[in-house]
Amino acid sequence: MELFSIFFGAILINNFVLHYFLGICPFLGVSKKIDAAMSMGLAVTFVMSITAVVSWVINHWILIPYGLDYLQIVSFILVIASLVQLVEMFVRKTSPPLYQAMGIYLPLITVNCAIMGLALLSALKNYNFIEAVVFGVGSGLGFTLAIVLMAAIREQLDLADVPEPLKGAGIALIVAGIMALAFLGFSGVIK
Amino acid sequence: MSLSSRMVAVLTSIGLLSGGFLVTVGFVTKERIAFNKKMEIERAILTVVPGASGGRIVYEEKDFTVYAGQDKAGQLAGFAVYTSGAGFQDKIVLMLGLDAALSRINGLAILDQKETPGLGARITDEGSFLVYWEGRDFSRPLSLRKPPAPSPESLSASEVNTVTGATISSQAVLGIVNSAREKLLKLNQEGKLSLEGDNAN
Amino acid sequence: MPTKTATQEFLKGLWEENPIFRQILGMCPTLAVTNAVINGLAMGLATSFVLVFSSFLISLIKKLIPSQVRIASYIVVIASFVTIADRVLAAYFWDISKALGPYVPLIVVNCNILGRAEAFASKNKVGRSVMDALGVSAGFILALLVLSSIREVLGSGTFLGYRVLGSWFEPWTIMVLPAGGFITLGILMAISIQLERKRKER
Repeated sequence: MELFSIFFGAILINNFVLHYFLGICPFLGVSKKIDAAMSMGLAVTFVMSITAVVSWVINHWILIPYGLDYLQIVSFILVIASLVQLVEMFVRKTSPPLYQAMGIYLPLITVNCAIMGLALLSALKNYNFIEAVVFGVGSGLGFTLAIVLMAAIREQLDLADVPEPLKGAGIALIVAGIMALAFLGFSGVIK
Repeated sequence: MSLSSRMVAVLTSIGLLSGGFLVTVGFVTKERIAFNKKMEIERAILTVVPGASGGRIVYEEKDFTVYAGQDKAGQLAGFAVYTSGAGFQDKIVLMLGLDAALSRINGLAILDQKETPGLGARITDEGSFLVYWEGRDFSRPLSLRKPPAPSPESLSASEVNTVTGATISSQAVLGIVNSAREKLLKLNQEGKLSLEGDNAN
Repeated sequence: MPTKTATQEFLKGLWEENPIFRQILGMCPTLAVTNAVINGLAMGLATSFVLVFSSFLISLIKKLIPSQVRIASYIVVIASFVTIADRVLAAYFWDISKALGPYVPLIVVNCNILGRAEAFASKNKVGRSVMDALGVSAGFILALLVLSSIREVLGSGTFLGYRVLGSWFEPWTIMVLPAGGFITLGILMAISIQLERKRKER
């Protein structure tokens, strides 16, 4: 039951984008078309899940036992950077068209606050291994949900008459605010 | 120097230099940070165990630590339980204070919560919520009174007022306290809470 | 293109290349910690510390680093300064450290810092890089202050913890919630874009 609430909570209640404000840059940058958003979301989920595992291992087998928890920041970011590099190489070898489509956004996953945030939050909440993995997958899916929803709304907005100053980031943020409000309604769903 | 050996040399030196620097910083700040953490717990114990001047751990497990609050003479002034549970939004961490006989609640302090500001967050407010926990009977499970009674006197010995507009957050706190109560009384029966025991850290 | 004076390098960070309102970088901490002015200020100062010192160091050693490993090196430098900032805060400003939570370590992925290192510090002299970093930092702090002032005054009726609006004012709780942060920033951005357009027309 505990695992279910972590999973469900990460997707809806404590959604990484709409509640923790993590992953805003790609959220605003890649959410103009649904398929781009979907690919970004899935790539992020993939990296997040692996990061959850690797950061947990490094944290609990190396850093904490030796009292080196202040090295969390440096180790986590290096792990993430390497993982993204590996994913990039993998995608380039196995599916060149996908690589082309994702363009610059693949390396940008490295500085996606969501992934670093995942590693840090998981360490902060002191999750055990299974909980950390569930949290990683759940938050990735939550990010994907938020970014795909945003893309769907923005595709519709493209056809609407948005006042000039609001176009782009302005209206995207206001939409995000309304989405955040809506997601507030999910609080308390899990007892 | 060839390019790849230069790359390796640069990365290694940067790694070593920053590593060394960070270890120094980590070392210098380690004590202060541990002190800050300890102070936070101590302050909470002093709040919920009147008369205590310090606390010692008598039982510890994940998410549930029992401290013995001792006065200046070393006598047991009461117990404090540091525990947490699920709130409306996220985890609620609290310190529950009991008297030495584990028969009455001395006080309650909310240490960490992320409830809705202005509504659920009012569980941290002395006047709206915390004051009602003082003097409650610990021998039976506690319950919430809703709508809230006008004064602490009109509540029965095991009732606590609900915070208006924050029923779920109040219920969350009640749940945490009640399960802590069950656990604590069981530990006491099993003799695991003695000051001299090897459970003490 | 005429090279800028040092002062101009500084000033451009305040408006033209303001990281939040114009470049849309460093969003995550902006929204997360601006529910109160003291938090926004602390975050701004911590980020500035990292930005200025990283820019300084990276500009200093830029010639020594082969291009293929530059990103990795920058990351290590930046992450080290972030760790220092995080530890110092936890040691000497415990309450603020708790309030900012995981967002101080997240400075390491603040696109501003790596972006500035890549775009500027790695290509310019130390003096200019520091001025540039100071300018962007000032712009960042300015943006954080504006956003957090609005959110704290409207959301809690206080400023830096002191009540500024009397008890007749029922706080707009939504302002201190994520939703309020998004909407306020969206409106501020629209305003800044509009101001920029008017400025260009003149």
